Amino acid sequence: MLAPYLRSRSSPWAALAYAFYKPLCHQVASRSLHCFGHPLAVCARCTGIYLGFLLGLGLYPFLRGWRQLRLPSGRVFFIVSTPIMVDTAANFLRLWQTSNAVRLASGVIWGTILPFYFITGLADLLISREKKRLKSLPRSP
Amino acid sequence: MIQQRPGMFRPALIGGIAAGVLTAVPLVNCLCCLWIIGGAMLAAYLFSKDSPTSLTPGDGAVLGILTGIVAAVTDSIVSLPFETMNREFVQRFMDQFSQFVKEMPSGWERWLDERAGGMSPAWFFLGLLATAVIYAAFGILGGVIGASIFGRKKILPPQGTP
Repeated sequence: MLAPYLRSRSSPWAALAYAFYKPLCHQVASRSLHCFGHPLAVCARCTGIYLGFLLGLGLYPFLRGWRQLRLPSGRVFFIVSTPIMVDTAANFLRLWQTSNAVRLASGVIWGTILPFYFITGLADLLISREKKRLKSLPRSP
Repeated sequence: MIQQRPGMFRPALIGGIAAGVLTAVPLVNCLCCLWIIGGAMLAAYLFSKDSPTSLTPGDGAVLGILTGIVAAVTDSIVSLPFETMNREFVQRFMDQFSQFVKEMPSGWERWLDERAGGMSPAWFFLGLLATAVIYAAFGILGGVIGASIFGRKKILPPQGTP
């Protein structure tokens, strides 16, 4: 939202805001949602993924709690990934062209599961490092 | 006999180079961050193939971080010739366009000159650093997803037990 806002105000910082997301997204204007009369810094699908990620972060404590380090099963991942995979492949192969709303929705669905991997992975990494550190400490007699 | 786990750098290098090239090449880069996630998943697959034990989510995260850093370096290097090609294309287009249009927008020559100058090494390294951090975050996702899909191994009983 910041990038189109800055561009609408003709701010020189707008270019920096768009450049920040450039490595992450093709930034094609026709495939992006518009705000303040300018496209967002990421496409509709990426916007959906980020919104889904936020949604997943909110859901995580209710579905997993903070004491469990368990990854979702491969089957769940494939089910959640099917809409974005099918839609992306079909758009790429020009079998059909979906609207930005559909791209956004497929991104939200996929993005929702991502925190369940991200948090679990980071937590496991930090816990295992802490365990190693405690093991390496000399034991007091 | 205790089987040693393979090193993480080689799978991360392969996954990172694949992801970095695909992210940098025009047209193919329309899949955005998904290439980085895919590259880290590939790294997790390659690592788990040679590993005698299951991959933990933490292993996947480390693999993903390494893959993301390699992908950022590869992307930055591979993107350079494409940026030069883009600049030359825009220069030619604007030159031809100016023959057909009486009044060109003001300041377009200055804009082209600025673009032709390319980026300074300081900007290049700053961009590389920012990209490495972002790609490492996406790499964590891919590595952990890969660990969950490819990393589970059945524990076989030791041979020779009754």
